[in-house]
Amino acid sequence: MFLVGIISWWYGTGWKGQLRRIRDRLVATASYFSIGQLFSTLFSPFRQISAGSVSGSIATQMRAFFDKTLSRVIGAIVRLFTILAGVIALIVQFVFEVLISIIWLTLPAFPVVGLILFVIGWAPRWM
Amino acid sequence: MDVSVFNHKSQRAMKARLGHSLSPWAMTLEVGVVLLIVGGIALLIFGIAAGWAAIGLAAIPAMIVEWYKYELRNIPVIKDGKKVDDILDSEILALLPDQPTPQMIATVLSKVTGGMFFAVRFGLSGGFLEQVVSSNRDDTKAVFEEALKISSQVGGRITAGVLMLALLRQLPSKETFLGHMQLNEDDMIRGISWYHHLTDLIELTSKRSSKPGGVGRDWSFGWIPNLSRFGQNISELNVRKTDLRTETIQQITKAMGSGRGAIALVGQTGVGKTELVYELASELMSTSESVPEAIRYHQIFMLDATRLISIASGRGELEGLIQTLLSEAYTAKNIIICLDNAHVFFEEGVGSIDITNVLLPILEAGRLPIILAVDEQKFLQISKRTPALAAVVNRINVLPTSESDTLKILEEKIPGIEFKRKVTYMYQALRESYKLSARYVYDIAMPGQALSLLDAAADYAESGLVTAKSVNLAIEKTIGVKTNVVDDEGERDTLLNLESLIHERMIGQERAVSVVSDALRRARAGVRNQKRPVGTFMFLGPTGVGKTELAKSLAAVYFGGEKNIIRLDMNEFVSADDVARLIADGTEDAGSLTAQVMKQPFSVVLLDEIEKAHSSVLSTLLQLLDEGILRDARGREVSFRDTIVIATSNAGADRIQEYLHRGYDLEQFEDKFVDELISSNLFHPEFLNRFDEIIVFAPLNKEELLKVVDLILVDVNKNLSEQKITVTVSSDAKAYLVEAGYDPRLGARPMRRVVQRSVENTVAKLMLSREVKPGGTIEISLDQVKEILDKKKQADTIAENK
Repeated sequence: MFLVGIISWWYGTGWKGQLRRIRDRLVATASYFSIGQLFSTLFSPFRQISAGSVSGSIATQMRAFFDKTLSRVIGAIVRLFTILAGVIALIVQFVFEVLISIIWLTLPAFPVVGLILFVIGWAPRWM
Repeated sequence: MDVSVFNHKSQRAMKARLGHSLSPWAMTLEVGVVLLIVGGIALLIFGIAAGWAAIGLAAIPAMIVEWYKYELRNIPVIKDGKKVDDILDSEILALLPDQPTPQMIATVLSKVTGGMFFAVRFGLSGGFLEQVVSSNRDDTKAVFEEALKISSQVGGRITAGVLMLALLRQLPSKETFLGHMQLNEDDMIRGISWYHHLTDLIELTSKRSSKPGGVGRDWSFGWIPNLSRFGQNISELNVRKTDLRTETIQQITKAMGSGRGAIALVGQTGVGKTELVYELASELMSTSESVPEAIRYHQIFMLDATRLISIASGRGELEGLIQTLLSEAYTAKNIIICLDNAHVFFEEGVGSIDITNVLLPILEAGRLPIILAVDEQKFLQISKRTPALAAVVNRINVLPTSESDTLKILEEKIPGIEFKRKVTYMYQALRESYKLSARYVYDIAMPGQALSLLDAAADYAESGLVTAKSVNLAIEKTIGVKTNVVDDEGERDTLLNLESLIHERMIGQERAVSVVSDALRRARAGVRNQKRPVGTFMFLGPTGVGKTELAKSLAAVYFGGEKNIIRLDMNEFVSADDVARLIADGTEDAGSLTAQVMKQPFSVVLLDEIEKAHSSVLSTLLQLLDEGILRDARGREVSFRDTIVIATSNAGADRIQEYLHRGYDLEQFEDKFVDELISSNLFHPEFLNRFDEIIVFAPLNKEELLKVVDLILVDVNKNLSEQKITVTVSSDAKAYLVEAGYDPRLGARPMRRVVQRSVENTVAKLMLSREVKPGGTIEISLDQVKEILDKKKQADTIAENK
């Protein structure tokens, strides 16, 4: 019962649970880097600096426009870098999760493979 | 297949048992996995092929650990499962033997977390049930059938509480068992839901994000240095949202999401306005779909009015500070301002400054979301003064919670109080605190009422456990009211001998004394109607027969002294306007009836000369006599349910004398006399009918008057005890004192004056002439009494002739 129970769980509910946890972890990473929100506010003024509307002479308004544009550009750069960092983290994590999934799928075979390699007597040579 | 038969060999049951047997090995297996992998890698580095075997073998404990962690440790119930073993808690499932008896089930309950929860919170343990339930295997089916029925009411799970209740329902004496623990079945159901809620919470808490929205959440919003300095960001507190205020929270988020800026949360103190804002702050930080995108991740800053006023030295500075803070919040674009106790910004007074002129335009513009938390009365006052304010805010009423919701809030809050006060609360304490606070705690609404009492009860915990008794004690010690059924030996004796104790202070009127004593005994034995005063009595009779004295004696003997009598001379309430004085707020008139009873709920209320009160005053008293409740000028319900209400009246005194002269006994004319009173329109029948008893006091006879003289002499001797002198009066002198002191119009009232004058004057003379020394005894004779009283009589005659 034990062997049947563990193997059927491993490739059934256990596998589904593993995929769900991988998804949750990826979502948590994306959320940590605020990727969705940063995309939607990519060109918003950074920290509302120079964000308000200004009335006055054309020169004043021009200066306010440039200030606001600069704030938007700075905001976009900071956000893009954060998004980039988030995407890299996601890719690395994804690769890692794929690896974990492969290990999960092949783990029940490990004892057999390990024993075969042991019986064959092959071991890596470092020097 | 019979769903109520426990299948010991079901998949869930077997897995549960496996999980249970693996639990002590889980850590060892994890360590084993690490050691095998590290060891295997080390061997491979040294070129030893056995390393492959070690790594390969590590997979076996690794798989077992994963299986244990994600399935066996806590096997979820089968959704919509119909069989017992589909929905039985995995901890119980693991321990239940094949074909268990009800007794075996009880044994298992004493070992599982849910069972321990009930043992601590409800005082109902598996060990106790083990002693009383059946040990017959055939009875188990009925237990599981009952458990299946109960589970359908509590989310389709069979946990320890469900089985406990199912076991109890099999007992013929279940009501006795539950009653012994001051519980009923509804309490058990509530306890089961409480336990399920706690287990759900533990699961939810592990999934909560520490930084909702991520690192870049606030980058599109402005800096808020001043707000961070002077306000409190309550969104960071991450208070858990309960399910009780969902509707109100949705109302607020909807209003804010649609751009309506100012919201006033209006409700009584203690109703949970601030708590509601805390929960709202948490909701805005969540990914809940009910939060409009326009305000998602908006942060709520609480501005403490008292702090701002203390920082800003003057009006100008405060206005400047408020403007800076609000404009910072507006510029930031993700800030909601909450002004707690907002009334202090709209009125002049101690600790408050009226800055309506600054705030009103901001509120009218409606661009900055602002929440004002304000007391109901204060809001009405502000609205009256500044109608524009009431017009611009969206008023949302926060109402006091019901009993059921209050208990849920208490269940939610007590882990925090328990952590702070290092105590454990029993469920009975929660229920008692709701019941007693509703009755005795004023000026604050539910759930604050119950929470404050629960907090106070922690000081009366026994061995760290707060029980219903601790809550009773907290009330008894703080407001002096006796809330529990009598269990003290001394008090029991007092109650049983109440008549003789009262008669140590007053003579005669056996019937009145006995009726009042009976009422008190009923109350303290817990067999009275709790929704009325302890007793309501109308004492009728001529003056000087002991009506007031009985009320005083009762207060002295049982209510802890004559000071615990609330006495109102009703001849001061002769006009309709006097109703206002009767129910005035304590801050305006500390002597009003309601104010005195609020301060001293356990007392004798004496309404002297009730016949002189205006009919409006009497009508006001009707609800008091009927339900034990009187609303004060502020609309608060003041409880008179721990008072004895005694109204006295001289009405018809002449008629009583007349009946007695005609040779009637009291019992013979009492009913007729009351009918006459009603017919004379002095009292309305509906008023007299509200009293538990109407007692007619007869004038005292000679024999009783002699006893009154003895009582007065006891008092005189008490006064002389400092001089170590004892006074006795001869029998013929006493008889003379009775003759001289009794007045048919004034009853025994002049008696004290006569006795004191004759005895004390005689003693004074003897002391001055050194005929008596400390430690001596004076026997006063008839001649001595006559000498003094006759002199007085002569002096009175001369004065009259002049």
